[in-house]
Amino acid sequence: MTAVVTSQSEAAAAAERRRRRVPYLLLLPGGLWLILFYILPMLQLAGTSLKSGSFAEGYRFSWALSNYGAGFTEFSAQFTRSILYAGIATVITFVIAYPLAYFIAFRGGRYKNLLLVLVIMPFLFPFLLRTLAWKIILADDGFVVDALKTVGLVSNNGRLLATGTAVVAGIAYNFLPFMTLPLYVSLEKIDPAMVEAASDLYANPRTAFRKVTFPLSMPGVVAGTLLTLIPAAGDYVNAQLLGTPQQSMIGNVIQSRFLLVLDYPVAAALSFTLMLAILAMIIPYIRFTGTEDLVA
Amino acid sequence: MSTRGAQAGLAGFPGEPFAVELQAVTKRFGEVIAVDSVDLAVDENRFFALLGPSGCGKTTTLRMIGGFEEPSEGTIRLYGEDVTGRKPYARPVNTVFQSYALFPHLSIFENVAFGLRRKKVGSADVNRRVSETLELVQLTGMEKRRPGQLSGGQQQRIALARALINHPRVLLLDEPLGALDLKLRKEMQIELKRIQHEVGITFIHVTHDQEEAMTMADAIAVMDGGHIERLGTPHEIYEDPQSSFVASFLGSSNLVDATVVDADRGELAVGEHRVHVVPERIPAGTSQVKIGVRPEKLSVVRAGDPTAINTLGGRVVDVSFIGVSTQYLVDTVLGTSMAAVQQNTGGGGPTPGEQVTLSWRPEHTFVVR
Repeated sequence: MTAVVTSQSEAAAAAERRRRRVPYLLLLPGGLWLILFYILPMLQLAGTSLKSGSFAEGYRFSWALSNYGAGFTEFSAQFTRSILYAGIATVITFVIAYPLAYFIAFRGGRYKNLLLVLVIMPFLFPFLLRTLAWKIILADDGFVVDALKTVGLVSNNGRLLATGTAVVAGIAYNFLPFMTLPLYVSLEKIDPAMVEAASDLYANPRTAFRKVTFPLSMPGVVAGTLLTLIPAAGDYVNAQLLGTPQQSMIGNVIQSRFLLVLDYPVAAALSFTLMLAILAMIIPYIRFTGTEDLVA
Repeated sequence: MSTRGAQAGLAGFPGEPFAVELQAVTKRFGEVIAVDSVDLAVDENRFFALLGPSGCGKTTTLRMIGGFEEPSEGTIRLYGEDVTGRKPYARPVNTVFQSYALFPHLSIFENVAFGLRRKKVGSADVNRRVSETLELVQLTGMEKRRPGQLSGGQQQRIALARALINHPRVLLLDEPLGALDLKLRKEMQIELKRIQHEVGITFIHVTHDQEEAMTMADAIAVMDGGHIERLGTPHEIYEDPQSSFVASFLGSSNLVDATVVDADRGELAVGEHRVHVVPERIPAGTSQVKIGVRPEKLSVVRAGDPTAINTLGGRVVDVSFIGVSTQYLVDTVLGTSMAAVQQNTGGGGPTPGEQVTLSWRPEHTFVVR
């Protein structure tokens, strides 16, 4: 009798142990992937950022924290420009994407899926090609410049290409889907009864949007702005194709340090500095918008 | 007694406008007619139920009163004032939504205070009224929580509080108890009735649950296919449903084809048999009708009762003992089966196979077209 009870409870305990192991087993592939392709390269990059020496003589690990200071002082203009361009582009993207996502979510009806496909459509063409297309659109003898000249927004010998405007426009265009999709998802999730309830409780359409729809779309706003701001701050394709060295961003510097100058330690230090700068910006942003609350 | 007559019976005080009045209200969605020329008048301080199966137009009717849908035709008046075409935020009504639609990003306090904030009520007043209203729905102390931290029943009460705090002239309830389990639903039925008595506001309650409508409402409009099929007190509707749809939607009934023989004396022919009904219940201008008797109004006896006016012979085919009552299924001489429910007063009743006589009283018989 006792033996039976013991073996039963042992079997139950074994089943319980197996059950507890399942989540970890499920985590394993993703975890390995992260360790192999994210954590290890990061550590390696961190190591590189602390090396000193030259390409010809070889770089040696030496806790060379000076790489950080040197990189930041030398390229502070590019840092500032990166943050500025990415910030402006994010704001522009948001202003275009919010009404677009709102329209698709609430007025799209049976065309919803078609409209979403149209939003994603640019992804079917390579990033580089899309940006090159903008080079043609913004060309000095192109119709955009002509039109803006007639309205007087561009002076007679002015140009768009090779200016900050072109770089910002390129970034804003390239990242539009990254902003639109999260916004669409969070807007689409809103129960129309919420807006009706606000209206029932004496909120006119503007107040209903301000007090109900917009706050409820905050997770999408945060996700969309981060998905735009973070890669935009590190982008170098737009600045390279649509700008000149006067518009070069920190991404361009990192790229040339790595691939042309072959100054790996400073390139790595710049990468980390950019990462920390972005983290320092977004942590208070997420805190302030209080989205942890909404996600829960 | 026609529908019109019943409607006049619901009017309270002559000269006073109705709390809610619909005149020839029609709502079309494309080709579909959801509500078809409905006339309806609801008195002040009523608990009024719009009852019907899904797709009957009851929710659309409610949404038109709330202003969420505009009628394609017709006029809606609240206390005599034409509100047709007015936006929901400009109507003196509030709604309790089926899904509650509580704002997940706001605290319970701010959810309940939402309407007052829009009306720019001072904060001292807001505080007082929120605590009063939470007390009314018995959820004091929940102010700081979020809707997601509340149970379904509590969310339901908050939805009610959020509407009632604004002192609407009419409260609209769209299947508010649909998402609750049976026990909670029963509790909330009593609770809602208590609250309605306490605040003295007209409640218009949409439901597909006939028992819920009967328990709670002072007056019911039974809807089907965009029309109001029957309007009256729960008692009137149950005892004299006037249409086979209403008869079968509310409770169960035995319906048999009949021919009018003498309308003035209330005499009808059911096959070879003669039955008697209250003459006023025979609709004018028809000879082919159906008569109906509720199962609990039939009595099942072994030998024919010589004094009974309406009788029908048959054979018991099934007996189900339910506890407080016993249900008999009887194959009648007409070839149809009838259900009869008898109180259990002790003693053995008929058993399957036994010949019995069903009898019922004329006033327990209703006639439908």
